[in-house]
Amino acid sequence: MSREEVFEKLNEVFRDVFDDDSITVNDTTTADDIEDWDSLEHINLMAAVESEFGIKYSMGQVVTMKNVGEMADIILEKLS
Amino acid sequence: MSITSFYFLCFFAAVLFLYYVIPKKAQWGFLLFVSLAYFMTSTEVADSGGWYVVFYPLGAVAAVYLAARLIDRTKEQKKRRAALICAVIFCVGLLCTLKFFRLGLLAPMGISFYTLTLLGYLFDVYYEIGPVQDNYGKLLLFGCYFPTMISGPIVKYQDMKEQMYGGHKFDYRQVTFGMQRMIWGFFKKLVISERMAVIANEIFDNYGSYAGFPIWIGAVAFTFQLYTDFAGCMDIVLGISQCFGIVLPENFNAPFLARNISEYWRRWHITLGTWLREYLFYPLLRTRFFMELPKKLKGRVGKKRAKQITTFSAMFILWFVIGYWHGGTWNFIIASGLLHWFYIVSGELMEPLFVKWRAIFRINVESKGFILFQRLRTFVLVMFGLIFFRSATVPDALRMIGRGFSAFNPQIFADGTLFSFGLDWIELVIALVSLVIFGWVTVEQQKGWIRERLEKKNIVFRWAVLYALLFYVILLGQYGPDFSASEFIYQNFKV
Repeated sequence: MSREEVFEKLNEVFRDVFDDDSITVNDTTTADDIEDWDSLEHINLMAAVESEFGIKYSMGQVVTMKNVGEMADIILEKLS
Repeated sequence: MSITSFYFLCFFAAVLFLYYVIPKKAQWGFLLFVSLAYFMTSTEVADSGGWYVVFYPLGAVAAVYLAARLIDRTKEQKKRRAALICAVIFCVGLLCTLKFFRLGLLAPMGISFYTLTLLGYLFDVYYEIGPVQDNYGKLLLFGCYFPTMISGPIVKYQDMKEQMYGGHKFDYRQVTFGMQRMIWGFFKKLVISERMAVIANEIFDNYGSYAGFPIWIGAVAFTFQLYTDFAGCMDIVLGISQCFGIVLPENFNAPFLARNISEYWRRWHITLGTWLREYLFYPLLRTRFFMELPKKLKGRVGKKRAKQITTFSAMFILWFVIGYWHGGTWNFIIASGLLHWFYIVSGELMEPLFVKWRAIFRINVESKGFILFQRLRTFVLVMFGLIFFRSATVPDALRMIGRGFSAFNPQIFADGTLFSFGLDWIELVIALVSLVIFGWVTVEQQKGWIRERLEKKNIVFRWAVLYALLFYVILLGQYGPDFSASEFIYQNFKV
């Protein structure tokens, strides 16, 4: 899967989790950019991303992930 | 040796002096020695002669130390997991056995705090987000650092490691700031909390002979007593630590300025909340059960509700643990656990209704009046919980609340009844004035540290304020039945 494809899928996941079709994420998107993205929603988001890509983040990755770019990097790394 | 005792201040002065004369490299070792010595003189140990309790923290640190090293060295997930589980069972088992099951064994000072602190370190190593400590002595200091042994805060290893082992040069500003903070803590504890305790004790211990407003006065007094006691203790602890050049995390941020209960818990006992969120709540939500639950419910109740039910169920477990951690009996489980879960859940469920009401009554949510209403609401909700906290049993608390509603007697505010709760009028005035000072400082503090602002004022004003506060505490602190300023130094400083 290419990085672009990962982001395309991530967009869908984000739109579904936050119930907002206008969301488009990129490398530098962080929790500050999306209003409902608080720490609790973060856990839900991780679960949705995991089931979409069929991967599993470690707890350490869940709490240290800084932006969507990092999220995508880990996805690509796990898929390869 | 209580931290508000005269002997403790002597002990602290001697330790502080030695800390800055010995070589910097020896400082952490010295702090470790002092921490263990302090532990051995704690009241639990002194009262029973049970010096063996020192083996509890030594053992817990050893278990965590070995497990963390093993986890760090092996890549095999099975072994890592086994080591983690063994150490967690050992530490939590020890904590529960000693503190909650009450088997007649002595629970050592600070066990609930050092257990969480050590487990947090172990989880961070396991999750590969924190470094490992290869020196047992250093980890022992991290777990048993004496200021935090008293009643927290729960610290994170990453925040502590450089400060604790790095060595510190004497820094005038840090040491004076630390001491000022201690005085402020003594003010809360000795001037306010001890006075509030007199009223709270009278009414809670004899609630059967009161009805109506006196009951609520007792509940309000206990709320202030507990808050100023705990927050004051934290000021003293953080102040002590700052004198050593070690900055500990804040545990309170004006909780009664919170506009709702969720916010209250982000401001009250902050380090406990953070710990439980990171090491209990999130991992819980990531278990298979809670990951699958929303998918199963989705078809039946819709996506939004499914998510809510999942979160609320996990929160139920979280709040049960918080309540249990506070005391292990039902009154604590309700007081600082399930009741707050109920507040938060019902608040969220009723939010759409509240939004509608606010629209109908055209309430400006950012107006001063509405914010004040929200803060008072927080206070009242917390106060109801604390009635359970202070009462001997749950039925006692319920009966007491019942008595509070059984009479309407505003005349007690005018007929002198107020002076019959154990404080005469001068003591009541001192208590109220102190509370006003405390409240004013709390509000001002939100705009930035008062100490830093004070620092910018001229020297005369600065010292006048500090001396005023110091004498205020010395003269008015430590209320007792035989209280007088001259007896204070000789008599009321008990170990």
